[in-house]
Parts: sequence; C-alpha cells; structure tokens
Amino acid sequence: MRILLGLNDESLAELLELYKIEFGPGAARYARKTYRKWRSGEVAPVTETFERFLLRLPKVMTFDLKCEVLRRLMDEFSAKDNHKLTVYTDDWEEKLPPLVEQIVIKANTSGLPREVERRLRWLAEDETQLAQEILRKSRIEQGRIAVSMLREEMAAIESVLAEKHLRPKVVHKLKFPCGTITLNIKRR
Amino acid sequence: MDDQKQELIPKKQSLFPITAEDIVDNALQNLDEKQAQRVTEKAADEIVRLAVEKRKAEYRAGAAQEEMRNLIDNANLLDERVGDYSIQSSFETASGTTNVEIRKSRTSAAMMALIVAAGVLIVLLVYLVLRG
Repeated sequence: MRILLGLNDESLAELLELYKIEFGPGAARYARKTYRKWRSGEVAPVTETFERFLLRLPKVMTFDLKCEVLRRLMDEFSAKDNHKLTVYTDDWEEKLPPLVEQIVIKANTSGLPREVERRLRWLAEDETQLAQEILRKSRIEQGRIAVSMLREEMAAIESVLAEKHLRPKVVHKLKFPCGTITLNIKRR
Repeated sequence: MDDQKQELIPKKQSLFPITAEDIVDNALQNLDEKQAQRVTEKAADEIVRLAVEKRKAEYRAGAAQEEMRNLIDNANLLDERVGDYSIQSSFETASGTTNVEIRKSRTSAAMMALIVAAGVLIVLLVYLVLRG
C-alpha cells in the first residue's frame, strides 16, 4: 500500500478516481481520508482494501498507471548493493568499472520477490512482463547515464584535490537504481 | 549479455544504445494489436524520459563544477585571512553527490607543536635524571 500511495500526485489522483468508479464514492472518501496514514505506515489497511487496491484495481488500470505502480514496486523491492572504495585520481578508471558493471548487471537480472509475484497475479500478464522488461532496460540506461559524465566530474574533483595547501577531503557517492558506491577520493 | 560488456564509462557514448524495438521485439507476438501499441508507446515514452534525465544530469554536472570552483576560491580567501575555519559542501552531480570538507585549525596546529615540544622536553629530562 505504501508503494501505491507513494505514486506521484498525478498517478495517485488517477488511482483514487479509479477506486471511486470501481468501489463507490463512500469507499473513495474513506480511502482519501485515510491514505496519509496508510502511506506513513501508521495504520495498516484492512485486507479488503488491500485486495481492492493491489489485486482488483490493476485489472482496470491504464497501462501507464500499471507501469508506474510497477516502477514503484521495482524500486522498493530490488536488492540494493552498497559498496565503499578508496580510489586515487590516477587509478579510479581501473578500480571503478568492475563494480559499476556488477551493479548494472544486477539491475538487469534482479526481479521482484517470488512472494510479490505470486500474490500480484497481474504481474504475470504478457503486457506487464513487457513493461517490466522496458523498466529494467531503462534502469540499466539510467545507470549508464549516471556514469557517462564521470570523467568530467572526476576532473572537477581532481582540481579540488589539487589545492594541496587546503588539504581537502572528498567523498563521492554514486547512485544507481540497484545500489550505491561511496568513493573516498585521494590524490597522490 | 553483449551490451553488458560494453565499456561502462565510454569517452563518447551514444545517447541510447537500446531502442524501443530492441526491447519489445521478442515479446510482442503474444499481444493483440492494441496491447502491442500501448507497449511500444511506453517504450518510446521511457526513451524520452531518459533523454530528459540525461539533460538534467548534464545540467547538474555543469552546476556542480561551477560550485566547486567557487568553493575553492572561497576556501583560498579564508585561508589567507582567517586562522581557523571549516567548510563542508555537498554537490549534486550527474552521477550522485560529492561531499568536500576543508578544515584548517591554526590553534590545534600550535597546540600539537606545544605537545610535541613538551614531550621531547620530558624525555630529555628523564634521560638526564637517569644519567645523573
């Protein structure tokens, strides 16, 4: 539920409108009134509400909305790898790529937990399977975009570290959909 | 797997090595025409979204470089004029976040020098007492 209710405003409005159409204005009013508590985890929805939102509603969701729900599920459930590494400005290009590759490959291979797939049967539909594939490739590309400008970024960091009299300490955290790499960067 | 073996930090990289066609080609057979169109549109949307992400990342990278230059200028100014200072800055870049810490403490440097001098003096005194 927290995942569904963490959708962006536009998708959430669409979801609640759909809920109103499917289950009536009374149920929708209750959902609107309570969704902040569901979102924060303060109150757990009853089984009926859970089933309405996650099992029955997807059947009438637009494909776009389903994809957004799927994106949230993938963000929430994909395993995250967090690494720490000390690199020098003259050796990061050798040390970093294997780790980046590991994380990017993970984005390509990681799926949703079996239990989630078992309960949310709509995930098995052909259309949704394709959507998962699209989003998976998109996450890989997102990772590549992140590192595509790393050379320029490292050049800027090197110019900071070049000010030796200031003795700067630089830590750079690379963020990927499937994890992070924290680099402690030094200059020889 | 071939695309996974590509250089991950290439010097000049094509914006999108994968196309909507690559993604959907194999799985489209099971879908009816309407579904297939929806999926293809989603793939195209995702490519546009990534293009926007890329532009945003480029902007963040440029802004971060400019801010880092300013940080160094400010730190150099402080270094000339002030004895003790500490700067901690965080920059949102294309790939993540860079944290820079610059710290200078003349007081603690002087204190360290005093401690070292006192230590040397004690060792010397102990040596002289034991010898005498």
